[in-house]
Amino acid sequence: MALVEAKLQVGYCSVCGHLSAEPVCDICRAPNRDSKTICIVADSRDVIALEKTREYRGKYHVLGGLISPIDGIGPEQLSIQQLVRRVSQQKVEEAILAISPSVEGETTTLYVGHLLKPFTRVTRIAFGLPMGGDLEYADEVTLARALEGRRDLE
Amino acid sequence: MYLRSLHLKHFRNYQAQSIEFTAAKTILIGNNAQGKSNLLEAVELLSSLKSHRTSRDRDLILDGELFSQVGGQLEKDTGSIELAMTLRQNGRRTVALNSISLRRQLDFLGTLNMVQFSSLDLDLVRGGPDQRRQWLDALLIQLEPIYAYVLQQYNQVLRQRNALLKAIQKSAAHPPHSSSSELALWDAQLAIAGSRVIRRRARVLDRLVPFARSWHQTISGSTEVLEIRYASNVTADEDTPEALQQAFLEKIQQRSLPEHYQGTTLVGPHRDEVDFTINQTPARQYGSQGQQRTLVLALKLAELKLIEDVIGEPPLLLLDDVLAELDLNRQNQLLDAIQDRFQTLITSTHLGSFDAQWINSAQILEVKAGTLLEQESF
Repeated sequence: MALVEAKLQVGYCSVCGHLSAEPVCDICRAPNRDSKTICIVADSRDVIALEKTREYRGKYHVLGGLISPIDGIGPEQLSIQQLVRRVSQQKVEEAILAISPSVEGETTTLYVGHLLKPFTRVTRIAFGLPMGGDLEYADEVTLARALEGRRDLE
Repeated sequence: MYLRSLHLKHFRNYQAQSIEFTAAKTILIGNNAQGKSNLLEAVELLSSLKSHRTSRDRDLILDGELFSQVGGQLEKDTGSIELAMTLRQNGRRTVALNSISLRRQLDFLGTLNMVQFSSLDLDLVRGGPDQRRQWLDALLIQLEPIYAYVLQQYNQVLRQRNALLKAIQKSAAHPPHSSSSELALWDAQLAIAGSRVIRRRARVLDRLVPFARSWHQTISGSTEVLEIRYASNVTADEDTPEALQQAFLEKIQQRSLPEHYQGTTLVGPHRDEVDFTINQTPARQYGSQGQQRTLVLALKLAELKLIEDVIGEPPLLLLDDVLAELDLNRQNQLLDAIQDRFQTLITSTHLGSFDAQWINSAQILEVKAGTLLEQESF
Protein backbone atom coordinates (compact mmCIF):
# COMPACT_ATOMS: atom_id res chain seq x y z
CA MET A 1 0.00 0.00 0.00
CA ALA A 2 2.69 2.41 1.07
CA LEU A 3 4.64 1.64 -2.09
CA VAL A 4 1.64 2.29 -4.31
CA GLU A 5 1.07 5.56 -2.51
CA ALA A 6 4.69 6.55 -2.90
CA LYS A 7 4.55 5.79 -6.59
CA LEU A 8 1.43 7.91 -6.99
CA GLN A 9 2.78 10.85 -5.04
CA VAL A 10 6.36 11.06 -6.19
CA GLY A 11 7.05 12.69 -9.49
CA TYR A 12 9.84 14.80 -10.90
CA CYS A 13 10.71 18.39 -10.11
CA SER A 14 9.77 20.57 -13.07
CA VAL A 15 12.93 22.65 -12.65
CA CYS A 16 15.78 20.23 -11.98
CA GLY A 17 14.29 16.78 -12.62
CA HIS A 18 15.01 15.42 -9.14
CA LEU A 19 12.46 13.15 -7.47
CA SER A 20 9.85 15.24 -5.70
CA ALA A 21 6.36 15.02 -4.23
CA GLU A 22 5.74 18.67 -5.12
CA PRO A 23 5.85 20.21 -8.61
CA VAL A 24 9.09 21.94 -7.59
CA CYS A 25 11.46 20.08 -5.25
CA ASP A 26 12.72 21.15 -1.82
CA ILE A 27 16.18 21.98 -3.11
CA CYS A 28 14.96 24.20 -5.95
CA ARG A 29 12.60 26.02 -3.55
CA ALA A 30 15.15 26.54 -0.78
CA PRO A 31 15.80 30.31 -0.61
CA ASN A 32 19.13 29.93 1.18
CA ARG A 33 20.72 27.83 -1.55
CA ASP A 34 22.99 29.38 -4.13
CA SER A 35 21.18 29.40 -7.46
CA LYS A 36 24.27 30.67 -9.28
CA THR A 37 25.82 27.22 -9.12
CA ILE A 38 24.29 24.17 -10.76
CA CYS A 39 25.61 20.67 -10.27
CA ILE A 40 24.75 18.34 -13.13
CA VAL A 41 24.24 14.65 -12.35
CA ALA A 42 22.94 11.62 -14.21
CA ASP A 43 20.48 10.34 -11.66
CA SER A 44 18.49 11.30 -8.56
CA ARG A 45 20.60 8.87 -6.53
CA ASP A 46 23.61 11.07 -7.26
CA VAL A 47 21.78 14.07 -5.77
CA ILE A 48 21.11 12.07 -2.62
CA ALA A 49 24.79 11.02 -2.42
CA LEU A 50 26.01 14.60 -2.85
CA GLU A 51 23.46 15.94 -0.37
CA LYS A 52 24.74 13.54 2.27
CA THR A 53 28.07 15.38 2.24
CA ARG A 54 26.28 18.61 3.28
CA GLU A 55 29.14 20.42 1.55
CA TYR A 56 27.33 21.59 -1.54
CA ARG A 57 25.01 24.57 -1.25
CA GLY A 58 24.07 25.13 -4.87
CA LYS A 59 21.30 23.71 -7.04
CA TYR A 60 21.14 20.56 -9.14
CA HIS A 61 20.14 19.36 -12.54
CA VAL A 62 19.27 15.70 -13.07
CA LEU A 63 19.78 14.53 -16.66
CA GLY A 64 17.84 11.32 -16.20
CA GLY A 65 20.52 9.04 -17.62
CA LEU A 66 23.59 9.03 -19.84
CA ILE A 67 24.02 9.12 -23.59
CA SER A 68 24.09 5.49 -24.72
CA PRO A 69 23.19 4.62 -28.32
CA ILE A 70 23.16 0.90 -27.41
CA ASP A 71 20.19 1.58 -25.13
CA GLY A 72 18.65 3.99 -27.62
CA ILE A 73 19.42 6.98 -25.41
CA GLY A 74 20.52 10.08 -27.29
CA PRO A 75 20.73 13.69 -26.08
CA GLU A 76 17.02 14.18 -26.88
CA GLN A 77 16.05 11.52 -24.33
CA LEU A 78 17.81 13.44 -21.55
CA SER A 79 16.81 16.78 -20.03
CA ILE A 80 19.68 18.57 -21.76
CA GLN A 81 17.56 21.21 -23.54
CA GLN A 82 15.97 22.20 -20.22
CA LEU A 83 19.43 22.49 -18.73
CA VAL A 84 20.74 24.73 -21.51
CA ARG A 85 17.66 26.91 -21.18
CA ARG A 86 18.15 27.13 -17.42
CA VAL A 87 21.80 28.07 -17.70
CA SER A 88 21.34 30.55 -20.54
CA GLN A 89 18.35 32.34 -19.00
CA GLN A 90 19.40 32.48 -15.36
CA LYS A 91 22.54 34.05 -14.01
CA VAL A 92 24.47 30.85 -13.53
CA GLU A 93 28.13 31.41 -12.68
CA GLU A 94 29.30 27.84 -12.60
CA ALA A 95 28.06 24.54 -13.94
CA ILE A 96 29.70 21.56 -12.21
CA LEU A 97 29.59 18.27 -14.06
CA ALA A 98 29.46 15.39 -11.55
CA ILE A 99 29.13 12.37 -13.80
CA SER A 100 30.92 9.06 -13.34
CA PRO A 101 33.95 8.50 -15.57
CA SER A 102 32.56 5.58 -17.62
CA VAL A 103 32.63 5.71 -21.43
CA GLU A 104 29.01 6.88 -21.47
CA GLY A 105 29.57 9.32 -18.60
CA GLU A 106 32.61 10.80 -20.31
CA THR A 107 30.70 11.28 -23.57
CA THR A 108 27.78 12.90 -21.77
CA THR A 109 30.16 15.19 -19.87
CA LEU A 110 31.82 16.32 -23.11
CA TYR A 111 28.50 16.86 -24.85
CA VAL A 112 26.87 18.85 -22.06
CA GLY A 113 30.06 20.78 -21.31
CA HIS A 114 30.33 21.84 -24.93
CA LEU A 115 26.75 23.16 -24.95
CA LEU A 116 27.11 25.07 -21.70
CA LYS A 117 30.46 26.69 -22.31
CA PRO A 118 29.10 29.71 -24.26
CA PHE A 119 27.00 30.67 -21.22
CA THR A 120 29.00 29.98 -18.10
CA ARG A 121 32.10 28.59 -16.47
CA VAL A 122 32.03 24.79 -16.74
CA THR A 123 33.93 22.55 -14.32
CA ARG A 124 33.99 18.85 -13.61
CA ILE A 125 34.62 17.01 -10.38
CA ALA A 126 38.01 15.41 -9.85
CA PHE A 127 38.59 11.66 -9.79
CA GLY A 128 41.36 10.33 -7.68
CA LEU A 129 42.46 8.64 -4.54
CA PRO A 130 39.97 7.92 -1.77
CA MET A 131 40.62 9.58 1.58
CA GLY A 132 42.49 7.36 4.00
CA GLY A 133 43.73 5.34 1.06
CA ASP A 134 47.43 4.75 0.75
CA LEU A 135 49.00 5.42 -2.60
CA GLU A 136 50.53 1.96 -2.69
CA TYR A 137 47.13 0.30 -2.31
CA ALA A 138 45.37 2.30 -5.00
CA ASP A 139 44.49 0.42 -8.14
CA GLU A 140 46.11 1.37 -11.41
CA VAL A 141 43.04 2.85 -13.07
CA THR A 142 42.43 5.20 -10.16
CA LEU A 143 46.10 6.15 -10.03
CA ALA A 144 46.17 6.85 -13.75
CA ARG A 145 43.06 9.02 -13.40
CA ALA A 146 44.54 10.84 -10.45
CA LEU A 147 47.70 11.53 -12.46
CA GLU A 148 45.63 12.83 -15.37
CA GLY A 149 43.80 15.23 -13.07
CA ARG A 150 46.91 16.50 -11.25
CA ARG A 151 47.20 20.21 -10.52
CA ASP A 152 49.75 22.79 -9.48
CA LEU A 153 50.65 22.94 -5.84
CA GLU A 154 49.29 26.14 -4.38
CA MET B 1 57.71 -17.82 -10.39
CA TYR B 2 56.54 -21.26 -9.47
CA LEU B 3 53.02 -22.62 -9.25
CA ARG B 4 53.23 -25.03 -6.34
CA SER B 5 49.71 -26.35 -6.45
CA LEU B 6 46.42 -26.14 -8.27
CA HIS B 7 43.00 -26.85 -6.78
CA LEU B 8 39.89 -27.47 -8.80
CA LYS B 9 36.33 -27.95 -7.67
CA HIS B 10 33.46 -28.65 -10.07
CA PHE B 11 35.66 -27.33 -12.84
CA ARG B 12 34.96 -28.70 -16.34
CA ASN B 13 35.15 -32.48 -15.89
CA TYR B 14 36.86 -32.33 -12.47
CA GLN B 15 34.76 -33.05 -9.40
CA ALA B 16 37.47 -32.13 -6.88
CA GLN B 17 41.16 -32.32 -7.62
CA SER B 18 44.32 -30.99 -6.05
CA ILE B 19 47.64 -31.15 -7.84
CA GLU B 20 51.07 -30.56 -6.35
CA PHE B 21 53.66 -29.63 -8.92
CA THR B 22 56.89 -31.25 -7.81
CA ALA B 23 59.23 -30.61 -10.73
CA ALA B 24 60.09 -27.81 -13.10
CA LYS B 25 58.44 -29.81 -15.86
CA THR B 26 55.10 -31.53 -15.51
CA ILE B 27 53.85 -33.73 -18.31
CA LEU B 28 50.13 -34.45 -18.39
CA ILE B 29 49.53 -37.55 -20.38
CA GLY B 30 46.23 -39.10 -21.45
CA ASN B 31 43.81 -39.77 -24.25
CA ASN B 32 41.74 -37.06 -25.84
CA ALA B 33 38.85 -35.55 -23.87
CA GLN B 34 40.13 -36.73 -20.47
CA GLY B 35 40.79 -33.24 -19.08
CA LYS B 36 44.43 -32.41 -19.88
CA SER B 37 43.72 -29.08 -21.51
CA ASN B 38 41.19 -28.26 -18.80
CA LEU B 39 44.06 -28.14 -16.33
CA LEU B 40 45.98 -25.68 -18.46
CA GLU B 41 42.78 -23.71 -18.95
CA ALA B 42 42.50 -23.38 -15.16
CA VAL B 43 46.02 -21.91 -15.04
CA GLU B 44 45.15 -19.59 -17.94
CA LEU B 45 42.13 -18.34 -15.99
CA LEU B 46 44.24 -17.62 -12.91
CA SER B 47 46.65 -15.69 -15.09
CA SER B 48 44.40 -13.77 -17.47
CA LEU B 49 40.84 -14.20 -16.09
CA LYS B 50 40.05 -15.47 -19.56
CA SER B 51 39.86 -18.74 -21.36
CA HIS B 52 40.71 -18.93 -25.03
CA ARG B 53 38.14 -21.70 -25.34
CA THR B 54 35.02 -20.01 -24.00
CA SER B 55 33.73 -16.67 -22.85
CA ARG B 56 30.86 -18.11 -20.80
CA ASP B 57 31.51 -19.05 -17.20
CA ARG B 58 28.82 -21.69 -17.24
CA ASP B 59 30.82 -23.72 -19.76
CA LEU B 60 33.53 -24.00 -17.11
CA ILE B 61 31.27 -25.48 -14.43
CA LEU B 62 30.80 -29.23 -14.05
CA ASP B 63 27.37 -30.29 -15.33
CA GLY B 64 24.68 -30.10 -12.67
CA GLU B 65 26.70 -27.89 -10.31
CA LEU B 66 25.99 -24.26 -9.43
CA PHE B 67 29.52 -23.02 -8.99
CA SER B 68 33.11 -23.89 -9.64
CA GLN B 69 36.32 -22.98 -7.84
CA VAL B 70 39.85 -22.66 -9.13
CA GLY B 71 42.72 -21.93 -6.80
CA GLY B 72 46.48 -22.13 -6.67
CA GLN B 73 49.52 -21.44 -4.55
CA LEU B 74 52.09 -19.34 -6.35
CA GLU B 75 55.66 -18.74 -5.18
CA LYS B 76 57.19 -15.48 -6.32
CA ASP B 77 60.38 -13.67 -5.42
CA THR B 78 58.28 -11.32 -3.35
CA GLY B 79 56.58 -14.11 -1.43
CA SER B 80 53.86 -16.70 -1.60
CA ILE B 81 50.46 -15.80 -3.03
CA GLU B 82 47.24 -17.75 -2.82
CA LEU B 83 45.04 -17.23 -5.87
CA ALA B 84 41.35 -18.09 -5.79
CA MET B 85 38.46 -17.69 -8.17
CA THR B 86 34.80 -18.67 -7.93
CA LEU B 87 32.71 -19.03 -11.05
CA ARG B 88 28.94 -19.18 -10.84
CA GLN B 89 26.19 -20.66 -12.99
CA ASN B 90 24.22 -17.49 -12.34
CA GLY B 91 25.94 -14.31 -11.38
CA ARG B 92 29.33 -12.73 -11.34
CA ARG B 93 32.60 -14.42 -10.64
CA THR B 94 34.65 -13.40 -7.64
CA VAL B 95 38.41 -13.40 -7.23
CA ALA B 96 40.63 -13.28 -4.17
CA LEU B 97 44.34 -12.90 -3.44
CA ASN B 98 45.58 -14.36 -0.15
CA SER B 99 41.94 -14.83 0.92
CA ILE B 100 41.19 -11.14 0.44
CA SER B 101 38.39 -10.76 -2.03
CA LEU B 102 39.07 -8.10 -4.68
CA ARG B 103 36.49 -5.50 -5.55
CA ARG B 104 38.01 -5.00 -8.97
CA GLN B 105 38.92 -8.01 -11.11
CA LEU B 106 41.58 -5.94 -12.87
CA ASP B 107 43.69 -6.08 -9.70
CA PHE B 108 43.95 -9.84 -10.09
CA LEU B 109 45.70 -9.54 -13.45
CA GLY B 110 49.46 -9.61 -13.64
CA THR B 111 49.91 -11.85 -10.59
CA LEU B 112 50.52 -15.14 -12.38
CA ASN B 113 52.44 -14.67 -15.62
CA MET B 114 52.56 -17.27 -18.33
CA VAL B 115 53.17 -17.90 -21.98
CA GLN B 116 50.76 -20.18 -23.69
CA PHE B 117 51.71 -22.22 -26.70
CA SER B 118 49.03 -24.45 -28.14
CA SER B 119 48.59 -26.12 -31.49
CA LEU B 120 46.24 -23.25 -32.38
CA ASP B 121 49.18 -20.84 -32.18
CA LEU B 122 50.85 -22.60 -35.08
CA ASP B 123 48.40 -20.66 -37.25
CA LEU B 124 49.43 -17.31 -35.82
CA VAL B 125 51.33 -16.31 -38.95
CA ARG B 126 48.91 -17.75 -41.50
CA GLY B 127 45.61 -17.13 -39.74
CA GLY B 128 43.41 -14.05 -39.69
CA PRO B 129 44.48 -10.68 -38.29
CA ASP B 130 42.11 -11.05 -35.33
CA GLN B 131 44.25 -13.94 -34.07
CA ARG B 132 47.35 -11.74 -34.12
CA ARG B 133 45.54 -8.89 -32.37
CA GLN B 134 44.33 -11.26 -29.66
CA TRP B 135 47.84 -12.61 -29.19
CA LEU B 136 49.25 -9.11 -28.86
CA ASP B 137 46.49 -7.98 -26.49
CA ALA B 138 46.99 -11.00 -24.22
CA LEU B 139 50.71 -10.27 -24.01
CA LEU B 140 50.09 -6.60 -23.28
CA ILE B 141 47.66 -7.33 -20.46
CA GLN B 142 50.35 -9.39 -18.74
CA LEU B 143 52.96 -6.68 -19.06
CA GLU B 144 50.71 -3.70 -18.42
CA PRO B 145 47.54 -4.89 -16.63
CA ILE B 146 45.97 -1.46 -17.06
CA TYR B 147 45.82 -2.23 -20.76
CA ALA B 148 42.87 -4.52 -19.97
CA TYR B 149 41.02 -1.37 -18.94
CA VAL B 150 42.27 0.64 -21.94
CA LEU B 151 41.07 -2.07 -24.32
CA GLN B 152 37.75 -2.48 -22.57
CA GLN B 153 37.13 1.27 -22.84
CA TYR B 154 37.93 1.20 -26.55
CA ASN B 155 35.60 -1.74 -27.17
CA GLN B 156 32.80 -0.01 -25.30
CA VAL B 157 33.21 3.19 -27.34
CA LEU B 158 33.27 1.06 -30.47
CA ARG B 159 30.03 -0.72 -29.52
CA GLN B 160 28.32 2.59 -28.74
CA ARG B 161 29.52 4.21 -31.94
CA ASN B 162 28.39 1.23 -34.02
CA ALA B 163 24.96 1.37 -32.38
CA LEU B 164 24.72 5.05 -33.25
CA LEU B 165 25.82 4.48 -36.86
CA LYS B 166 23.16 1.77 -37.18
CA ALA B 167 20.52 4.10 -35.71
CA ILE B 168 21.49 6.89 -38.10
CA GLN B 169 21.35 4.47 -41.01
CA LYS B 170 17.83 3.40 -40.01
CA SER B 171 16.54 6.92 -39.62
CA ALA B 172 18.09 8.04 -42.91
CA ALA B 173 14.64 8.49 -44.42
CA HIS B 174 13.73 11.04 -41.78
CA PRO B 175 15.10 14.56 -41.76
CA PRO B 176 18.54 14.71 -40.12
CA HIS B 177 18.53 15.64 -36.44
CA SER B 178 21.24 16.25 -33.94
CA SER B 179 22.91 12.94 -34.80
CA SER B 180 25.87 14.45 -36.63
CA SER B 181 27.03 16.36 -33.55
CA GLU B 182 26.37 13.27 -31.47
CA LEU B 183 28.48 11.22 -33.86
CA ALA B 184 31.30 13.76 -33.66
CA LEU B 185 31.30 13.19 -29.93
CA TRP B 186 31.82 9.44 -30.35
CA ASP B 187 34.45 10.14 -33.03
CA ALA B 188 36.42 12.07 -30.45
CA GLN B 189 36.06 9.29 -27.87
CA LEU B 190 37.05 6.68 -30.43
CA ALA B 191 40.14 8.66 -31.38
CA ILE B 192 41.24 9.07 -27.76
CA ALA B 193 40.65 5.46 -26.71
CA GLY B 194 41.85 4.06 -30.05
CA SER B 195 45.12 6.02 -29.99
CA ARG B 196 45.92 4.55 -26.58
CA VAL B 197 45.40 1.03 -27.89
CA ILE B 198 47.49 1.65 -31.01
CA ARG B 199 50.41 3.23 -29.15
CA ARG B 200 50.60 0.52 -26.54
CA ARG B 201 50.41 -2.25 -29.11
CA ALA B 202 53.11 -0.67 -31.28
CA ARG B 203 55.31 -0.12 -28.24
CA VAL B 204 55.12 -3.71 -27.00
CA LEU B 205 55.98 -5.04 -30.46
CA ASP B 206 59.03 -2.80 -30.62
CA ARG B 207 60.22 -4.34 -27.37
CA LEU B 208 59.52 -7.88 -28.55
CA VAL B 209 61.26 -7.59 -31.92
CA PRO B 210 64.93 -7.85 -30.81
CA PHE B 211 64.22 -11.04 -28.84
CA ALA B 212 62.15 -12.56 -31.64
CA ARG B 213 64.79 -11.71 -34.22
CA SER B 214 67.62 -13.32 -32.30
CA TRP B 215 65.58 -16.45 -31.56
CA HIS B 216 64.54 -16.69 -35.16
CA GLN B 217 68.14 -16.67 -36.29
CA THR B 218 69.14 -19.23 -33.69
CA ILE B 219 66.35 -21.67 -34.54
CA SER B 220 66.48 -21.34 -38.30
CA GLY B 221 70.27 -21.27 -38.27
CA SER B 222 70.21 -18.57 -40.88
CA THR B 223 70.95 -14.90 -41.23
CA GLU B 224 67.53 -14.00 -42.54
CA VAL B 225 66.22 -10.80 -41.04
CA LEU B 226 62.86 -10.91 -39.31
CA GLU B 227 60.83 -7.71 -39.09
CA ILE B 228 57.65 -7.30 -37.06
CA ARG B 229 55.61 -4.19 -37.52
CA TYR B 230 52.35 -3.02 -36.07
CA ALA B 231 50.43 -2.06 -39.18
CA SER B 232 47.74 0.30 -38.04
CA ASN B 233 45.12 1.77 -40.34
CA VAL B 234 45.79 5.04 -38.54
CA THR B 235 49.30 6.45 -38.70
CA ALA B 236 50.82 9.78 -37.79
CA ASP B 237 54.15 11.33 -38.75
CA GLU B 238 54.84 12.34 -35.21
CA ASP B 239 54.82 9.88 -32.33
CA THR B 240 52.63 11.79 -29.87
CA PRO B 241 49.13 10.99 -28.59
CA GLU B 242 47.86 14.31 -29.99
CA ALA B 243 49.23 13.73 -33.48
CA LEU B 244 47.76 10.23 -33.58
CA GLN B 245 44.36 11.42 -32.36
CA GLN B 246 44.39 14.10 -35.05
CA ALA B 247 45.27 11.55 -37.74
CA PHE B 248 42.56 9.29 -36.37
CA LEU B 249 39.91 12.00 -36.72
CA GLU B 250 41.05 12.83 -40.24
CA LYS B 251 40.82 9.19 -41.22
CA ILE B 252 37.28 8.97 -39.81
CA GLN B 253 36.38 11.99 -41.94
CA GLN B 254 37.78 10.29 -45.04
CA ARG B 255 35.82 7.13 -44.42
CA SER B 256 32.58 8.76 -43.30
CA LEU B 257 30.65 7.87 -46.43
CA PRO B 258 31.45 4.13 -46.49
CA GLU B 259 30.87 4.08 -42.72
CA HIS B 260 27.47 5.59 -43.25
CA TYR B 261 26.52 2.99 -45.83
CA GLN B 262 27.89 0.03 -43.93
CA GLY B 263 26.62 1.28 -40.57
CA THR B 264 29.75 0.20 -38.78
CA THR B 265 33.09 1.68 -37.67
CA LEU B 266 35.77 1.16 -40.31
CA VAL B 267 38.65 3.05 -38.71
CA GLY B 268 40.53 1.98 -35.62
CA PRO B 269 42.70 -0.65 -33.95
CA HIS B 270 39.94 -3.27 -34.21
CA ARG B 271 40.97 -3.51 -37.85
CA ASP B 272 44.73 -3.35 -37.40
CA GLU B 273 47.25 -5.96 -38.44
CA VAL B 274 50.61 -7.27 -37.32
CA ASP B 275 53.00 -7.73 -40.22
CA PHE B 276 55.72 -10.34 -40.10
CA THR B 277 58.31 -10.09 -42.83
CA ILE B 278 61.39 -12.17 -43.45
CA ASN B 279 63.98 -10.60 -45.73
CA GLN B 280 61.34 -8.11 -46.77
CA THR B 281 58.90 -10.80 -47.89
CA PRO B 282 55.61 -11.22 -46.00
CA ALA B 283 56.05 -14.32 -43.84
CA ARG B 284 52.64 -15.72 -44.62
CA GLN B 285 53.59 -16.03 -48.28
CA TYR B 286 57.23 -16.61 -47.73
CA GLY B 287 57.66 -19.79 -45.86
CA SER B 288 56.71 -23.41 -45.83
CA GLN B 289 54.61 -24.52 -42.93
CA GLY B 290 57.81 -25.55 -41.17
CA GLN B 291 59.33 -22.11 -41.56
CA GLN B 292 56.18 -20.49 -40.26
CA ARG B 293 56.39 -22.78 -37.22
CA THR B 294 59.94 -21.66 -36.65
CA LEU B 295 58.67 -18.11 -36.59
CA VAL B 296 55.88 -18.93 -34.12
CA LEU B 297 58.35 -20.71 -31.86
CA ALA B 298 60.67 -17.70 -32.01
CA LEU B 299 57.75 -15.45 -31.05
CA LYS B 300 56.83 -17.64 -28.09
CA LEU B 301 60.41 -17.72 -26.83
CA ALA B 302 60.60 -13.96 -27.27
CA GLU B 303 57.42 -13.62 -25.17
CA LEU B 304 59.02 -15.68 -22.39
CA LYS B 305 62.10 -13.48 -22.41
CA LEU B 306 60.21 -10.20 -22.60
CA ILE B 307 57.90 -11.12 -19.72
CA GLU B 308 60.89 -12.28 -17.69
CA ASP B 309 62.65 -8.97 -18.37
CA VAL B 310 59.69 -6.80 -17.47
CA ILE B 311 58.36 -8.78 -14.50
CA GLY B 312 61.78 -9.66 -13.16
CA GLU B 313 61.18 -13.39 -12.85
CA PRO B 314 60.49 -16.21 -15.29
CA PRO B 315 56.85 -16.80 -16.24
CA LEU B 316 55.21 -20.22 -16.59
CA LEU B 317 55.13 -21.93 -19.93
CA LEU B 318 52.04 -23.91 -20.96
CA LEU B 319 52.54 -26.25 -23.90
CA ASP B 320 49.17 -27.56 -24.95
CA ASP B 321 49.36 -30.43 -27.41
CA VAL B 322 52.05 -28.65 -29.35
CA LEU B 323 55.29 -30.44 -28.60
CA ALA B 324 54.43 -33.44 -30.73
CA GLU B 325 53.84 -31.05 -33.62
CA LEU B 326 57.38 -29.73 -33.52
CA ASP B 327 60.18 -31.73 -35.07
CA LEU B 328 63.07 -32.93 -32.91
CA ASN B 329 65.30 -30.01 -33.82
CA ARG B 330 62.72 -27.44 -32.74
CA GLN B 331 61.84 -29.46 -29.64
CA ASN B 332 65.47 -29.37 -28.62
CA GLN B 333 65.79 -25.65 -29.31
CA LEU B 334 62.81 -25.09 -27.04
CA LEU B 335 64.25 -27.35 -24.36
CA ASP B 336 67.60 -25.55 -24.47
CA ALA B 337 65.87 -22.23 -24.12
CA ILE B 338 63.74 -23.10 -21.11
CA GLN B 339 66.04 -25.53 -19.31
CA ASP B 340 64.81 -25.65 -15.73
CA ARG B 341 64.35 -21.91 -15.44
CA PHE B 342 60.76 -21.77 -16.62
CA GLN B 343 58.17 -23.97 -14.96
CA THR B 344 56.54 -25.83 -17.82
CA LEU B 345 53.24 -27.69 -18.02
CA ILE B 346 52.97 -29.97 -21.01
CA THR B 347 50.03 -31.95 -22.34
CA SER B 348 50.37 -34.84 -24.75
CA THR B 349 48.55 -37.97 -25.75
CA HIS B 350 51.66 -40.14 -25.51
CA LEU B 351 55.20 -39.92 -24.26
CA GLY B 352 56.73 -41.43 -27.37
CA SER B 353 56.34 -38.27 -29.39
CA PHE B 354 59.13 -36.35 -27.78
CA ASP B 355 62.73 -36.63 -26.93
CA ALA B 356 63.83 -38.51 -23.83
CA GLN B 357 65.47 -35.33 -22.54
CA TRP B 358 62.04 -33.88 -21.88
CA ILE B 359 61.02 -36.83 -19.76
CA ASN B 360 64.15 -36.83 -17.61
CA SER B 361 63.40 -35.36 -14.21
CA ALA B 362 59.86 -34.46 -15.25
CA GLN B 363 56.82 -35.11 -13.12
CA ILE B 364 54.44 -37.28 -15.10
CA LEU B 365 50.72 -37.31 -14.38
CA GLU B 366 48.19 -39.48 -16.13
CA VAL B 367 44.86 -37.80 -16.76
CA LYS B 368 41.86 -40.09 -17.02
CA ALA B 369 38.23 -38.91 -17.00
CA GLY B 370 38.82 -36.02 -14.67
CA THR B 371 41.20 -37.71 -12.24
CA LEU B 372 44.97 -37.68 -11.96
CA LEU B 373 47.38 -40.51 -11.32
CA GLU B 374 51.01 -39.90 -10.46
CA GLN B 375 53.37 -42.03 -12.52
CA GLU B 376 56.85 -43.15 -11.63
CA SER B 377 59.51 -40.91 -13.10
CA PHE B 378 61.66 -42.41 -15.77
